[in-house]
Amino acid sequence: MAQAAPPGMNEVGSAHESSRGKLFARSLPFVSVVLLVLLPLLHPGPEIIRLLFITLVWITASVAWNLIGGFGGQVSFGFAVFYGLGAYTTALALNHGISSWIAFPLGGFVASLASLLVGLPTFRLRGPYFAIATIGASEAVRVIMTNVSLTGGASGYRIMETGAFHQLEHFYSALALAAVVVAASILVERSKLGLALVAIREDEDAASDLGVNPYRAKLMAHSLAAALTGAAGGVYARYAAFIHPQGVFAFSISVAILLMPIIGGVGTIWGPVIGAVVYGLIHEELVASFPQLHLLLYGSLLILIVFFEPRGIMGLLGRWFNAMQRRRRLSGSHS
Amino acid sequence: MAPILKVDRVTMHFAGLAAVREVSFELEPGRIYGLIGPNGAGKTTLLSIIAGSLRPTSGSILFEGRALGKGRAFEAVHAGIARTHQIPRPFRALSVMANVEVGASFGRKAKSKTQEGNDASRILQWVGLSHLAQTSAANLSVGDQKRLELARTLAARPNLLLCDEICSGLTASETAAVLRLLREIQQAGTTILYVEHDLKVIMSLCDHVIVMNHGSKLVEGPPQAVQNDPAVIEAYIGKNGDQVSEA
Amino acid sequence: MNAVDLLNLTIAALLLAGVYAAMSVGMTIIYGVMKIVNLAHAGFLMLGAYFVYQLNSSFGIDPLLGVVLAFPVFFLVGMAIHWLLIRRLPTSDQPTLVSLMLLFGLWLVLQNLGYLIWGNADRAILTRWTFWVWRIGPLSIPGVRLVVFGAAVTSVAALEFMLHRTWFGRAVRALMQDRDAGRIVGINVDQTARVVFGVGIAFAGAAGGLLAMLYSFSPDFGGAFLLRAFVIIVLGGLESFAGVAIGALILALVETFSILILPASYQPAVAFSLLVVALVVLPEGVAGLWHRRHRPA
Repeated sequence: MAQAAPPGMNEVGSAHESSRGKLFARSLPFVSVVLLVLLPLLHPGPEIIRLLFITLVWITASVAWNLIGGFGGQVSFGFAVFYGLGAYTTALALNHGISSWIAFPLGGFVASLASLLVGLPTFRLRGPYFAIATIGASEAVRVIMTNVSLTGGASGYRIMETGAFHQLEHFYSALALAAVVVAASILVERSKLGLALVAIREDEDAASDLGVNPYRAKLMAHSLAAALTGAAGGVYARYAAFIHPQGVFAFSISVAILLMPIIGGVGTIWGPVIGAVVYGLIHEELVASFPQLHLLLYGSLLILIVFFEPRGIMGLLGRWFNAMQRRRRLSGSHS
Repeated sequence: MAPILKVDRVTMHFAGLAAVREVSFELEPGRIYGLIGPNGAGKTTLLSIIAGSLRPTSGSILFEGRALGKGRAFEAVHAGIARTHQIPRPFRALSVMANVEVGASFGRKAKSKTQEGNDASRILQWVGLSHLAQTSAANLSVGDQKRLELARTLAARPNLLLCDEICSGLTASETAAVLRLLREIQQAGTTILYVEHDLKVIMSLCDHVIVMNHGSKLVEGPPQAVQNDPAVIEAYIGKNGDQVSEA
Repeated sequence: MNAVDLLNLTIAALLLAGVYAAMSVGMTIIYGVMKIVNLAHAGFLMLGAYFVYQLNSSFGIDPLLGVVLAFPVFFLVGMAIHWLLIRRLPTSDQPTLVSLMLLFGLWLVLQNLGYLIWGNADRAILTRWTFWVWRIGPLSIPGVRLVVFGAAVTSVAALEFMLHRTWFGRAVRALMQDRDAGRIVGINVDQTARVVFGVGIAFAGAAGGLLAMLYSFSPDFGGAFLLRAFVIIVLGGLESFAGVAIGALILALVETFSILILPASYQPAVAFSLLVVALVVLPEGVAGLWHRRHRPA
């Protein structure tokens, strides 16, 4: 959302003045990771692990999308392409005896290649036009995958893995991937690429006038985002052991992947994480309780976000912290 | 001495309208040139062509002997040309320092990475914005925005600096400060092409002036000569009696 | 394949082009004046289809008449939506991500409305011409396509007339060229924008009704047509409706003849491939959509 400026390069974390608040914010991610790593020791049960697993996969896709969509301002409606290609590639690799250590990155690699095919022609278009073109790319790939018989076509594709199903193995794969993606996001945000992306988002022509090559920066960010999303698809595929085009290439997946960062705070580091957690936890409940209404709810949520807080939950948190500080300052001056 | 920039019969058509017609001139390195003309003369269009963001309909641009003009601004920047915008276009989501860093990181190749970082702080100090380094660019006054625009462009280490009406909207003292800066930039070896439509500023600053009107080059020469040229006076006073600037 | 088949296919493509043109016009005019890419266009195509369907199935109203009725109804709906939502968007001379999000959200809402009211079963409209085939000599032309083509061309022609012969049309064209200049000259931009949005939605609804006469539909049927409308705009341009006609013709021809080599389910891929080809082959492409030529201040 170019209209409301998300926290800039030097402003992440500067919303809290108090050092206690800063310490809390800085340590929260590490504490969460440690908690998640240790969680299985508490025997929470397969349902909870499954829910967390799904959420971690969503976190990966959400943070990845944000690299190009949030930092770069190039909103893609077609990330299901990368998710699905990663899923199918990993599935094919696993069925040919390739270990998951290689199968996951392979899925990411194929997705990355696809991102170049999509990006090379479409990044010539400005933001919103790129968005529509990505809808087309997504539909085109879905249609092709539905018709290709090598991977089972519309009836789907099954992964036959030897060995028992160890749910925790999948859980830790997803956790590791999510940690990698968040680290990547932080690194990109601090890097030259991150600077270029924000400049492009704010004013592509002015960025070009300063020597930024917008085309190359977009392709790089898109490629990285696609690779990580592809890996997420691969991790999911291995867990589900059965994938089909209507599932992994569905438009609703693309919608989910872009909705999460917007809910949480597009263009920030933690916004997409928060958004994915919110989406991951409530989506299943929502679809179970109001099966007919979830599009309506998400659509209305988007409209409300646009009008009231384009910065999403991070924006709301920012406003809350500012209000708290103002109150503290005011009460301090009375003593 | 070989000219740093050679503009050769550059023409630009926009949907049938000729914004620039067969304009030719040369710039010697290290001098300050003025590009003047009434509003609508085609100055900004010509600047955009030289800066690389517009591809001319015909004609050529030779910078340091190499042909440019393919419509990719960033390539011109890497070659050593950078321009400021008439209306400042700061990156609002970034701090002042980060804005300048964009120029420093992506401009003409620096000697080393550390030089890039030093450039940014040094330039901020030079233009007088150090105290605002961490301020968001969205919160700057117009005068500061113009200074940021200049700082950002300088950070790209151009050999040829294109300034587009950088003093418009500034107070007299702010203008004087900017002009002082420009002279310092020239003394450091950078060639400057300065677009203005205020004659007073140009006369005090430039070694050589090029006058445009209706897309064509009218005259060029030293400021005094141009100022007294009847064609120039008529172009500014015009048939409608608008635009009267004091010589 | 002989000459007769070739001719039949060409005619089929021509007829399709007419409908495609009518379908894109709504999006074009909204973009041209307001610089908003109307993602919800797909939703209104869908609602238009169901509107005409419902009138036909509940009241036995002829679909063509339904299409005619769709114009005023959707015009009012469009104006209402503009008043409620669109006018609060920050204006700019370039499409913004915020507008994209808003209209996408609206599209989701409309889709859900479709599902709620009509469920997700495919529907189709049967008319007295659905099975009529007009035979001229060796050629056979599906009558319904001819009728739909006629309606489409008539409505686009009417729009052209309005744009070039009325004061309002002149105001719209002025705004398409330069919004601020239009304001200075005294055009009430907000009101004009509202009417324009209404017209755009009116065409979306009516075009949806026309499409419903040709294809079966369900609440998500807008998406493929949204892509097609966009491809047409990229191919033909935003400057004039002649451009839309050309774009529509190219797309219709490519799609119709591609059926000879590809199964029909590959159609979305065809539209997208055409988009990619257009983007690669026409780098100097369509003004306004591309790496925007820097307009001097």
